[in-house]
Amino acid sequence: MALLELKQVSKSYPHAKGSLRVLNEMSFGVERGEFVAIVGPSGCGKSTLLRIINGIVAATSGQVLYNGQQVDGINPECAMVFQSFALLPWLSVKANIELGLEARRLPPAERERLTTRYIDKVGLDGFEEAYPRELSGGMRQRVGLARALAVEPAVLLMDEPFSALDALTAIGLREELLDLWQAADSPVKTIIMVTHIIEEAVELADRILVLSTGPGRLVGDIKVELQRPRDRRGESFNNLTDKVFSLIEERA
Amino acid sequence: MLGGLAAAMEQADNSRRAIGGAASILIVAALLALFFGFRNYMPVLHGPRLSVSARHLPYYAFCSFNRMLVAYVLALLFSIAYGMMAARGRIWERVMIPAIDIAQSVPVVGFFPAAVYFFVALAHGSRLGVEMAAVFLIFTSQAWNLALGVFESTRTIPDDSREALEAFGASGWLRFRKLSLPACVPKLVYNSILSWVAGWYFLIACEIITAGPSTYRLPGLGSFLMEAANRGRNGEMLLGLLALLLIIVAMDLVVWQPLSVWAEKFRYEFTSGAEAERSLGMLHAIGLLGPNIYHAVRLVVRPLVVIVQGLFDAIPPLGPRARERVDRIARFAGYAALIAFTAIFIYAIVRGLEALVRALLMPWPREVRQIPAATVASTIRMVVAYAISLGWTLPCALAATNSPRFKRWLSPIAEIVGSMPATALFPVIVVFVIQVTGGMNLASILLILTGMQWYLLFNLLAGVNQIPEELKEFARAYRLGRWATWRKLDVPALVPSIVTGSITAWGGGWNALILSEYFVYRGHTYKVLGLGALLDVATYETGNNLMILLSLLSMVVVVIGLNRFIWRRLYNVATERYRFD
Repeated sequence: MALLELKQVSKSYPHAKGSLRVLNEMSFGVERGEFVAIVGPSGCGKSTLLRIINGIVAATSGQVLYNGQQVDGINPECAMVFQSFALLPWLSVKANIELGLEARRLPPAERERLTTRYIDKVGLDGFEEAYPRELSGGMRQRVGLARALAVEPAVLLMDEPFSALDALTAIGLREELLDLWQAADSPVKTIIMVTHIIEEAVELADRILVLSTGPGRLVGDIKVELQRPRDRRGESFNNLTDKVFSLIEERA
Repeated sequence: MLGGLAAAMEQADNSRRAIGGAASILIVAALLALFFGFRNYMPVLHGPRLSVSARHLPYYAFCSFNRMLVAYVLALLFSIAYGMMAARGRIWERVMIPAIDIAQSVPVVGFFPAAVYFFVALAHGSRLGVEMAAVFLIFTSQAWNLALGVFESTRTIPDDSREALEAFGASGWLRFRKLSLPACVPKLVYNSILSWVAGWYFLIACEIITAGPSTYRLPGLGSFLMEAANRGRNGEMLLGLLALLLIIVAMDLVVWQPLSVWAEKFRYEFTSGAEAERSLGMLHAIGLLGPNIYHAVRLVVRPLVVIVQGLFDAIPPLGPRARERVDRIARFAGYAALIAFTAIFIYAIVRGLEALVRALLMPWPREVRQIPAATVASTIRMVVAYAISLGWTLPCALAATNSPRFKRWLSPIAEIVGSMPATALFPVIVVFVIQVTGGMNLASILLILTGMQWYLLFNLLAGVNQIPEELKEFARAYRLGRWATWRKLDVPALVPSIVTGSITAWGGGWNALILSEYFVYRGHTYKVLGLGALLDVATYETGNNLMILLSLLSMVVVVIGLNRFIWRRLYNVATERYRFD
């Protein structure tokens, strides 16, 4: 049984003339331990899809199943990493990370332990008392990542996590994400990441879901069977990238 | 060591604030004294008798609207010239922006009697002087915020746009028409809406003042309402309020709504759909009427614009030589005007200081001893009214962060009620409270409240709109819960709006205070101990110049003191810690 399963999920928004459909009858499953990337042109509803999986946004019709159970509202087994970090500027790095744990009503000692652990894991040692404003973009997203990891979710949801960063910073952070995910003691086994950068999807994911635009539909489901670590300039890497590109271009 | 340095810097900061504050107070005092110097020329004016009948209402409405229009056009022209000049460079900015700060800290309503003396003297004792004073009063309530808007928009024109025009060799006039002016349009339209709200407030206030115990009269909606209240004609009072509401709603539909939509296309930043929701629109159903009327107006105005444009285009283009000469002459004229203005200003300050010293050397009246107690009493009233304002607007704003439905429902209602000038309701409120409680204390606080609460509410609602969508999603995704979301996200995010809202609310409150502590109703004077009452007694009963001057100055001292030592500091903290970037 798939860990997460979407059944005919559609989403429409009210619009000046009737309603605007952004997602049309999406159905797919995500296995435990899988790294899934969702790619597509802007406006294809991929970020909305991620929010439906988390339960921040309700689907207009269709179902989201987790472990075979229908989920209504927020799925507590998921944690989201946001595109523009979504950090509270008036809280220190530590307080930002702890906030997610406070919401889960963990005892202070346990909060302290998890916060320290994940600050260490993402390489934020020495920045505990800094404010997000004082950090670079890459460091800020580390805080966002630590905050999500600290709640030790079964599924990590990432909404274009590297697109607000410069290219070099993004490359470094991607590698660190892979290391964290592959480490034996990682509580997070399953990752769903939304991106519009196809190379990023090919580099990281086990599987790529390709969405078309207007309304968003599933037009491709590609397994990535390249050995890790993947060579970004290798021939098979490029072939796969081209394949995803052509899938998107055909339907655009 | 570091602590010592910080303390020393704080000390230096404090003394700079104190010196700046003292200088501003001195300037205001000098100008006030100068205005009072004209009091001796004041003849006794007898305005037209006000008739309280529905038949004359359209005429009174027309009079009021006319004053508003004249003042607004003047304020608009002034603000464009002033704002653009202030944006020319650091030196200009250093002088011109603090000047606006000082101007804003004067409670305009208290200034009105002084303005009447000055303008009546200027108009050789004719009634036109009273009209000019009213227009001047409205002007001062509109111009500053417009000028700041122009200044900010001109300053934030992206460098590349400016450079692109320069690269094409665009001359001054073309640059003004195609770059500087369009860049100001969004802020000008938005601030114009606020300016009209403020303008109505003060227009009604000065008409009420003249309809009160004084000897000059301005026919208008405010004086109509006051007379109706005084004679106990409730039906006419209601009609007057209705007429005012009608004008305000019509203005919104025909002018402000289409203008707001039009102004959107001049924006440099591209915001998401969330912004569009925050239209200043009132009721959507009547809103459908607006565009039609707008198109009709446009049909008439458009040909005129085309003709004027054609005239400008018909001027033959200048050669580079001639253009250089024109530029040089323009620059020279600019400097000449600046020097002349500075000279006049310095002369006015010197004369003002002279008048101030002369006034202070006169024997001091016995009421002076009441000033400290009155200052405390008025400040307490302000604090109570402020606490009530914050007490209901903050929960409203927090509820709006929770429920977009509540916000959609609250915003338009607040816009209609908030854009009604509260001064128009003063007679109604006072008459009601006096009849129920027989005292003025409660009425006074209620009146101050009407001058404060909307500034807070509008600022807070604007703040709610600025909370980034992703942060709200974060709060939901991590299941922070209502209480934690308010405490960790919403309240801190609203801190800058609370501070800016409080600054404007206190400004509005001081103005309301002057009208709220002293009220004449059916020949009986109701008053409480307070600075506003002292000022009004001196203006209407004893006619003591020095008392007017001293009570106004005490008010200015409190206003500038609070601004410099509390609000400015809070503002700095708020914008440093509690902003998104």
